[in-house]
Amino acid sequence: MSKQIAVKVDDLTVAYNYKPVLWDIDLEIPEGVLMAIVGPNGAGKSTLIKSILGILKPIAGSVSIYDKPYEKQRQLVAYVPQKGSVDWDFPTTALDVVMMGTYGSLGWIKRPGQKQKKAALEALEKVGMLPFKGRQISQLSGGQQQRIFLARALVQNASIYFMDEPFQGVDATTEIAIINILKELRKAGKTVIVVHHDLQTVPEYFDWVTFLNVKKIATGPVKDIFNDDNLTKTYGINYKVSIQE
Amino acid sequence: MSSAQIEIQLIASLVAIACAIPGTFLVLRKMAMISDAISHSILPGIVVGFFITQDLNSPLLILLAALTGIITVVLVEYIQKTGLVKEDTAIGLVFPILFSIGVIMIAKNANDVHLDVDAVLLGELAFAPFDRLIVSGIDVGPKSLWIIGSILIITIGLLFAFFKELKISTFDAGLAASLGFSPAVIHYGLMSVSSITTVGAFDAVGAILVVALMISPAATAYLLTNNLKRMLIYAICFGVFSAISGYWLAHWLDASISGSITTMLGLLFLAVYLFAPNKGVIAVMYREKQQRTEVSLLTFLLHLKNHTEERERHVNHLNEHINWQKVRSKTVLDLALKNNMIKFDKNIVSLTEKGEDFTSQAIDYIITNEDAQIEDMKDDFFLFRG
Repeated sequence: MSKQIAVKVDDLTVAYNYKPVLWDIDLEIPEGVLMAIVGPNGAGKSTLIKSILGILKPIAGSVSIYDKPYEKQRQLVAYVPQKGSVDWDFPTTALDVVMMGTYGSLGWIKRPGQKQKKAALEALEKVGMLPFKGRQISQLSGGQQQRIFLARALVQNASIYFMDEPFQGVDATTEIAIINILKELRKAGKTVIVVHHDLQTVPEYFDWVTFLNVKKIATGPVKDIFNDDNLTKTYGINYKVSIQE
Repeated sequence: MSSAQIEIQLIASLVAIACAIPGTFLVLRKMAMISDAISHSILPGIVVGFFITQDLNSPLLILLAALTGIITVVLVEYIQKTGLVKEDTAIGLVFPILFSIGVIMIAKNANDVHLDVDAVLLGELAFAPFDRLIVSGIDVGPKSLWIIGSILIITIGLLFAFFKELKISTFDAGLAASLGFSPAVIHYGLMSVSSITTVGAFDAVGAILVVALMISPAATAYLLTNNLKRMLIYAICFGVFSAISGYWLAHWLDASISGSITTMLGLLFLAVYLFAPNKGVIAVMYREKQQRTEVSLLTFLLHLKNHTEERERHVNHLNEHINWQKVRSKTVLDLALKNNMIKFDKNIVSLTEKGEDFTSQAIDYIITNEDAQIEDMKDDFFLFRG
């Protein structure tokens, strides 16, 4: 029985100022995988996610989420941007940031109420941040900020999660806490797509991987395609990494 | 107070509120300078609008001028997008050019009308009550009051309707876009409101005060709160306070009203900058001093914990063991005693049970950085507040 395709990318080309950063990407992500997107700096990993989510406009190609365009499937998708992409001095609390995850289901103009607050508190509990709900976000450590972002995605109760470097600048404890939550999501049948930098941990954390460097190099199960050959193609000549089975 | 005086204060207050609302979001979006650009570059829009309508208070003129404001923003973004210059440079390129086009247009064509550059820069709040709105023969008040009042009502309506959207797109544009709240729509909406407010306030208070009223109250409020709603309310209060106190300062000094209001805004910011409870300069200095003392206290407690030998814990030798000045040692000893963390026994210092607990908890926190267990210690000690 073949699995359903959660995300399908066809002939996607994206350019900044007419310089292509992603070239003719074809990609099929099956439902229920925990997938890493790996590639060198400037490979277009974040760009790929942002284009799938309609934040960037591609110059060619199309994206579908469960066979429909993204605009029709927003409710199925949650997004965790890079931690550095927002101003943490913004006057707001941890709880309020998590509540933002509910805005999508509310739509324009409608205000969040008790139901949304309850969902946000549950998500905070899940990531172990409930004691910090009233804390101003600049008063949180880097790891705690990342957990808040994760909680904000959890509160969306989506089917597909996109995360842009969730392990950046967090300590080992937080990294383990986050990966455990991601694995739980996969167990619940969700699809999780993560931009990832640490090649050493790919086989341990993920079951699916996409190699990207402006063009797609390879995509598939980690056990089949995470090898020196693909790493070398992606990162340049003679890239070696030890793979622990 | 004469009715003209009340009207002037009312106009100034409404302008202050109308400016504080978009101003708060401009400050949070790090776009304060855009308001400066808009306030200057709408001049050609005002001049062209004036040629067409022959009326400085016509709604058409306000729309034309607001359009120039939007054009400014678009031009700045376009130049910036080329990647050849940075945003601040792009702003510096665009608005002086548009402003000077307006200046030339006034000089060439409008010598005989009451539209001069001084009035544009500093406004003529004192004259605002003279320009009345007459509806079927009845005087219903100064025109400026009606204009800024209408703009304010629209602004407040938009704020209530789109507060959530403004918040999310200001904090995290990427998430806003992925959830379907187009950050571009919000951005240009905010720019339009800023432009319209600027034009509406322009005639009354001039280009320079408009900028001050947008940025200063918001920046002051930012120092006082970690809550967006409160920041908006504080900014509005500061704006109104400066508007009214500035008016009376001008009255007392017999000086420019807009100049006095701006001065009050500056003084208010200075006061908050110095005395704000958390972010203020004095509070920060006090906190740093306290933290220094607390680190010393911890060092001292740790010394006691680590040394069982009496020689190391004798009051007369503590100074040399820890290598502190007398004053510092006394401060630390007093603090430890006050908190019942140490006890004396024939000049030998030792930790009390509370002192023991505190030391191990504190060390634990410093090593693990897990601050869930020390929440209750935060009230007494700055050290644990991160």
